[in-house]
Amino acid sequence: MRIMRTLFIFVTMLCLNPILLAQGDEYPINIFGYFQNSFQHWPQSEATTTHPQYLNPTEQSARNFFNLQQLNLFLSKDISQHWRAFVNFEVLNTFSSQRQWGSFNLEEAWVRYKASDQFSLKLGLLIPVFNNLNEIKNRTPLLPYIIRPLIYETSFSEFFSAVEEGAPARAFAQVSGIIPSGKAKLDYAFYVGNSPNINNEREIAQTGADTTDTFLIGGRIGLRLKNFKIGFSATHENVNLHFVEIGIARYDFIYNEVSRIRLGSDLSFHLGDFSFAGEWIAANYGDISEIRIDGEISKDSRGETSFDGKFYYGTLGYLIKERVFPYASYWYISHDFTYIAAELPLFTAVGITTIDGPTVGLSFKLNDRITFKGQYLSVSIKDEFPIPFSTIKLVQEQRYKIFAAAASVFF
Amino acid sequence: MKQFILTISCLTLWINGAFPQVAVIAHKSVPVDVIEKSDLLDCYTGDKSFWSDDKRVIIFDLKEKGDTRDAFYKYLGISSTRMKSIWMKRMLSGDADPPEFLESEDKMLQKVASTKGAIGFVSKAKVSDKVKMILLLPREGN
Repeated sequence: MRIMRTLFIFVTMLCLNPILLAQGDEYPINIFGYFQNSFQHWPQSEATTTHPQYLNPTEQSARNFFNLQQLNLFLSKDISQHWRAFVNFEVLNTFSSQRQWGSFNLEEAWVRYKASDQFSLKLGLLIPVFNNLNEIKNRTPLLPYIIRPLIYETSFSEFFSAVEEGAPARAFAQVSGIIPSGKAKLDYAFYVGNSPNINNEREIAQTGADTTDTFLIGGRIGLRLKNFKIGFSATHENVNLHFVEIGIARYDFIYNEVSRIRLGSDLSFHLGDFSFAGEWIAANYGDISEIRIDGEISKDSRGETSFDGKFYYGTLGYLIKERVFPYASYWYISHDFTYIAAELPLFTAVGITTIDGPTVGLSFKLNDRITFKGQYLSVSIKDEFPIPFSTIKLVQEQRYKIFAAAASVFF
Repeated sequence: MKQFILTISCLTLWINGAFPQVAVIAHKSVPVDVIEKSDLLDCYTGDKSFWSDDKRVIIFDLKEKGDTRDAFYKYLGISSTRMKSIWMKRMLSGDADPPEFLESEDKMLQKVASTKGAIGFVSKAKVSDKVKMILLLPREGN
């Protein structure tokens, strides 16, 4: 009976004061986020080729569209003086499950133990530190761009694999810190995560919770001195690559647990109202595992294979009256691909895709919450197919011009 | 000549009057009696988030632009816009919360006095014995 009475008093108190349990909570939960709406005009593309008898690139018709490029919602809470929890939901490309547009992702959910400024440990789903931009690539209020340097343009990730290949997207444990050294500061971060698409049971597609026996490891060492920042990053992981080509026979190019090493460096500085940010990344893949012809492992395939890639960008801007930021930027990607140059016997060759995009733009900060942006981008996508044992190279190119306007809102 | 000296004196008085001397203040529990400029900058950029006694550094800022705030950021050698962008980056990457922006210097004094580990800035004339002054910024032009 006494237990019932105590329970009754407890429940009554809870009902009368629903925030009772929260009263002793020193640290409130913070909910905030941002979104970026854009309008893009793509005039008809130009398509050219050096060998129209072999290659037939087609022009893309003009397109105009509004798009909710991105919306992020964050929840953060200090659990105690040294512990913090953080969750980041991300919605891309006017997400609608009804229309099967865009995507909705849980980007981050981690808890951090910060022992001191020199050492903190993050556990859980996190975006690892890699070069200058990776960790904040999706933070549109921080960036002047509408269309970011391509490997960081998450809203293209549904269509363009280099977005996932260029920089690590997620890790699950990270240690980091700042070590002061005189007037300079040394930043470090080391992390571990899953290899992105390894599945021990090959027949089953990856579920996101597979047992893997290979891991992503990586890190960044950086140096800061006043307004000058430089860093070097590296990752190693294994990836599965698999693609099929049909010619006289069916060719399965199977790359299981291929080693991938990314190396990166970044440089950024402020000089008065001028600012510069630049990065370089190289992704190198190990050797091919096997090529199957009509299901049988080929013993006599010859030629070269490669998927290596390179990327760099540089942005120079000038801040006017603390509100207007005009900038000029240039980014470049080159990406090897393997193709069948001859079928009998099988002979593979390595082609190269290069994408470059000079761009100019302007961002205008209306206030601390709202930023308007404009950008013009000229993109060239060029595929080159060298013919083995000759100097001939088949080339096709698509050129796009993109005019974009956007509003980025922080709430 | 007299007129020239008078003009210079008036100008000096006007400048000193226009830009009040700014004091950096801290909660009495903060284990620092004098703060270096570099440490102050680290506190405000978020690079220093703990005091030597393991208490968290809590920073306060003024909401509106004014002589006190201008003098403070000028001393730190960083524009308030750049500082806001540093804080936005820290906030959006989940690293830390931005400082609380207060309406007035009186409110700043009150908040620093009542918050353990807190640090802020007010004009020297506002400093009271409820807080401790850990740095007096040089006068503008000195």
